[in-house]
Amino acid sequence: MKQKPKVLSLRKRISQQKMLLLMVLPGFIWYVVFKYLPMLGLSLAFTDYGFRAKVSFIGLKNFHRLLTSTIFWNAFRNTLVISLMNIVFYFPCPIIVALLINELKNFKVQKAIQFVIYVPYFFSWVVVGSVFVNLLSPESGPINAIIKALGHEPIYFMASVTYFRSVIVSSYIWRQMGYGAVIYIAALTTIEPQLYEAATIDGAGRWQQLWNVTLPSLRPTIVTMLLLNLAHVLLIFEQILVMYNSAVYDVADVLQTYVYREGVLSGDIGYSVAVGMFTSLISLFLVLSTNKLSSRFLEEPIL
Amino acid sequence: MSTKTIKESAGRKVFNVCNIIFLALVVISIVIPIWNVLITSFAMDKDVVGNDYLLVPHSFTLENYYRVLHSGYMQAFRNSLFVAVVGTALSIVISIPLGFALSRKNLVGRKFLMGMLTFTLVFDVGIMPFYVVVRSLHMINKMAAIIVPVAVSTFNVIIIKNYMSAIPESLIESARLDGCNDYGVLLRIVLPLSVSIIAAVTLFYFVNYWNRYFEVIMFINDSRKYTLQVVLRSLMFEADDSLGGEHYVYSNTKMAVMVLGMVPVLVIYPFIQKHFVSGLMIGSVKG
Repeated sequence: MKQKPKVLSLRKRISQQKMLLLMVLPGFIWYVVFKYLPMLGLSLAFTDYGFRAKVSFIGLKNFHRLLTSTIFWNAFRNTLVISLMNIVFYFPCPIIVALLINELKNFKVQKAIQFVIYVPYFFSWVVVGSVFVNLLSPESGPINAIIKALGHEPIYFMASVTYFRSVIVSSYIWRQMGYGAVIYIAALTTIEPQLYEAATIDGAGRWQQLWNVTLPSLRPTIVTMLLLNLAHVLLIFEQILVMYNSAVYDVADVLQTYVYREGVLSGDIGYSVAVGMFTSLISLFLVLSTNKLSSRFLEEPIL
Repeated sequence: MSTKTIKESAGRKVFNVCNIIFLALVVISIVIPIWNVLITSFAMDKDVVGNDYLLVPHSFTLENYYRVLHSGYMQAFRNSLFVAVVGTALSIVISIPLGFALSRKNLVGRKFLMGMLTFTLVFDVGIMPFYVVVRSLHMINKMAAIIVPVAVSTFNVIIIKNYMSAIPESLIESARLDGCNDYGVLLRIVLPLSVSIIAAVTLFYFVNYWNRYFEVIMFINDSRKYTLQVVLRSLMFEADDSLGGEHYVYSNTKMAVMVLGMVPVLVIYPFIQKHFVSGLMIGSVKG
């Protein structure tokens, strides 16, 4: 019995693990049907699927159509602008807040702040959007109350071409910041205290400790968060769908809302799959190139 | 030398004060809007007709909730509850065995399966191919469409898997020597040790189902099957006063509907909160 054969044949291992594999099965089927079958569905981008009973292959026609559509380019521009605003304004927020919370001496206060700032992440976009409708209402909102008190006309933020994108980014920060901060705080607690002690002995001040100990230790977390952000930033959808209206299509219509209107509402499926595919491929490209870049700065790539 | 240390600690004090003020502002900006919704939902009509943004409660009444309870909104509330309860049950029944199996290091095809799961985190095909699949399964306009296609969350499966991986192998081996098969190991050894993580994942799933919006409007056409988020959205946005429209519903009643939309979160949150660090360490997605 001592000499167990180390390598069992695959068939033997499968029969040994019958029950374990049975446990995988429902989940496996789910992933195949709802995650991988849709990937095959991307091939519809090369067809005219949607209007007629007979589906025919039309090559790159859908792509030609999207490249010449002004609505597409408008949605493309808006997606890029809103994504860029999200990365620039949202991305640093949780890191800064986490660092500041970490500076507090009272552990209970730290916990209490985390408790509060994480709440909005659990609200739906409908609830978050509604909260902003309240805040920005021209009649009853506190923001416009201040504007009126300063002697200006109230601003119709939700219908304003000038302000709508800022509303999107602010509400994004309001909902997601605490979630990000909690993840960074968790990462901060794993930094070895000896590193700080050693830095102090070497005469490092607070700023030097931040640059030479804290931020390098956070780097893997920051890169992971950036990758996950990039994977989804161009696919921004539900938030816009909840908050936009026809008055702000010019600045708020993004690729996914365009896909939704063309595909689900108008039934032009082949074309809208093409638009979606365009978006997904750019996202994948962003993620893979960031991953490649990050592998230069980190010991190993994240993915 | 001593003046320098005093100077430094003075600078430190200024920093501490600024830091506390800044974090207090962050907390206020999150608490005030939620607090306003809560107190407005309990306010009498006379306190909201003047369009004030309430910061302190002036009155207390359950009238608004009474109105909502006797309105069409309750159908939507029941639909949301149905979707969340049935959906969570389905999600758990799929995710726990999957997470457990993946936590077994000798599982056949483990690497392949993990790759299959994590790839979905970075590559999303978007809504259309997903819509086409759901439609070709004849699920449109059925409650199943807002449950089954979103039943598994890769994050939750990985959370379960990571937690179960940390259970000592010796415990599992000894159970096996006692004649337990894999099913028995999961049921008798692993599940009792994973109660806290399973509670957390259950609550995550529940809140996710409760909050869903676009799947509902994408897959459901029959307004009797709408969930609370959908009707709340029309109430808040389509008769939206910031768009200059008339509003016939006083804000206190609107806020009561909104509280219904937030209530599972407000009730469940204190319980999930404990688990978030263990639950959300994305750094451990790998492996």
